[in-house]
Amino acid sequence: MKNKISFLSKLHSALHLYKIGLKVAFSTELAYRANFIMSSLIMLCFNILFPLVTVLMYQWSSFPGWNIWEVLLIQSIFTIAQGFNSMFFSGIFWQTNERIREGSLEVILLKPVNSLLFMMSSSINPEGIGVMLGGGIMYGFALYHVGITSIAFFVQSVLFFLGGLCVMWSFTMIMSATSFKWVGNSRIPEIFDSLLNFGKYPSRIFPQAIQAIITYIIPVAMIGYYPASALLGKMEISQLLLLIPCVIFCILGMLLYNWMIKLYEGVGG
Amino acid sequence: MKNKQIENCITVEHLNKTYITYKRGETFRETVKSFFKREQVLIKAVNDISFTVPSGSIIGVLGPNGAGKSTLIKMMTGTLFPTSGTIDVMGYMPVKNRSRYVRRIGAVFGQKSQLIWDIPPVDSFAMNAAIYNIPKDVYKSRLDKMCAMFDLGDVIYKPTRVLSLGERMKCEFIMAMLHEPEVVFLDEPTIGLDVIAKQKIRSFIKAMNKNGTTFVLTTHDLEDVEQLAQEVIIVNHGEKVFDGTLHELRSILGEKKIISLTFDKAVKDFSLKGATIVEKPSDREIVLEVDTSKASVSKVIKKISEQYVFTDISVKELPMETIITHVYNE
Repeated sequence: MKNKISFLSKLHSALHLYKIGLKVAFSTELAYRANFIMSSLIMLCFNILFPLVTVLMYQWSSFPGWNIWEVLLIQSIFTIAQGFNSMFFSGIFWQTNERIREGSLEVILLKPVNSLLFMMSSSINPEGIGVMLGGGIMYGFALYHVGITSIAFFVQSVLFFLGGLCVMWSFTMIMSATSFKWVGNSRIPEIFDSLLNFGKYPSRIFPQAIQAIITYIIPVAMIGYYPASALLGKMEISQLLLLIPCVIFCILGMLLYNWMIKLYEGVGG
Repeated sequence: MKNKQIENCITVEHLNKTYITYKRGETFRETVKSFFKREQVLIKAVNDISFTVPSGSIIGVLGPNGAGKSTLIKMMTGTLFPTSGTIDVMGYMPVKNRSRYVRRIGAVFGQKSQLIWDIPPVDSFAMNAAIYNIPKDVYKSRLDKMCAMFDLGDVIYKPTRVLSLGERMKCEFIMAMLHEPEVVFLDEPTIGLDVIAKQKIRSFIKAMNKNGTTFVLTTHDLEDVEQLAQEVIIVNHGEKVFDGTLHELRSILGEKKIISLTFDKAVKDFSLKGATIVEKPSDREIVLEVDTSKASVSKVIKKISEQYVFTDISVKELPMETIITHVYNE
């Protein structure tokens, strides 16, 4: 009973902290109005432009077994995940990176709260809303054309989508963890971004070895491809087991990050 | 008969911190070489330091740049692991029970801001109030009180980035004190401030200390130490080279006074037993150092007035700089 209460109070204070962080992040972003509007628009344009390239590509070639709407479905789900990632996760990397370079991580360690949670809440990037909205609209269009055949498929798709978010979360954790040892590595996200690209297309177009890697080892296929396949009824129920590598990946990432915080030595004052 | 024992709120024993850094040469060839193979250098930032701090006191930690002061403070705040040795602050081991421990301490780093750059300090304060679960009315009254002490007015409603350094430092203090910590660590809190701002911050620290808050203060500003600290620790090359009261520090070079004299006419070949000339600003002015354990000030003045006519005289303590320089160089 006591454990339950302390867990609930912990959860309550975590949510409370998240709320405060959210408020701070929004007021920080809104302090520069022009910048906020501009970057929301720019992010929206870039993320919508990419699927348009796919449409153009489709004029000349096609992905075997996938029609244009089905491919757009993958990419719209991918875009939503990307928006979610840039709104809630990627700020953690930038904040960690900057604080370590400046040696100001102590300021966070001095607060009587979970450092990761505090970092997560205070680095929310509201611009991601634009991307999620754009992805959502595209998703609506694609879905309108392919149609939902069963609720079970939809539920399975949502579960895979959550698995995809786990993968993105662990990417953030691993990237941020590298910042501790490899100070000032601002190019790291580019490596991860190019890895993510494998999740934008039907996995079948890649060689077997790559398919295995993006399914079991670095499960980026979970971000767009699997949720879309599930929605289209192309997946077996047993394939839900594929979520296991995602969850493992997620837990490993978080453990690595927390371990790095423990090891953090400061840059000296 | 009851012995009143002063409780120590901080006990540091045989504290060590060793870093590994990499050495890199300055020529282009060595730079290229260091890209492939870097030479490791072991640095002892803190070397076997022990001391205690009584509850409700202000202790000054002095030392030249790179002496290990900040490393020491970081370990005491629980944000840096010691290599060996123990720290006990109010019964806590800082790195072990960090999240419970930091709830009871505060810290101000002169060179690292806790305020959020793009938004007004008052938003940062509200964030801290929520983090430390300070009830709304308590928060309001504490904030009003501290703003009045600092004469801040509507400064706290302007974005942090437009504030002057002095205004920002005052806000940093509020940020660190809102939850009324029992022990506060200050790392060079008056660095780069003007005289008035420094004075305001010093009187704020004094007022908080009167209410029972213990302060550990590192600084380069000897005024800070002279006005605030009851006890002083001097650190150099990671080692403790002095630990005692301000009075003990002053007497380290013996009981000495500085006497400045201005004569009615130019004086040549001034000499006096028991006094040494330390400076001759002009041919009518002389600054003397007198060892009062050998000759009292009154005796010296009497002797001077017998031989010369002076129009002005002042007697001062030995400047703190001289003492500190002596301790650093030893």
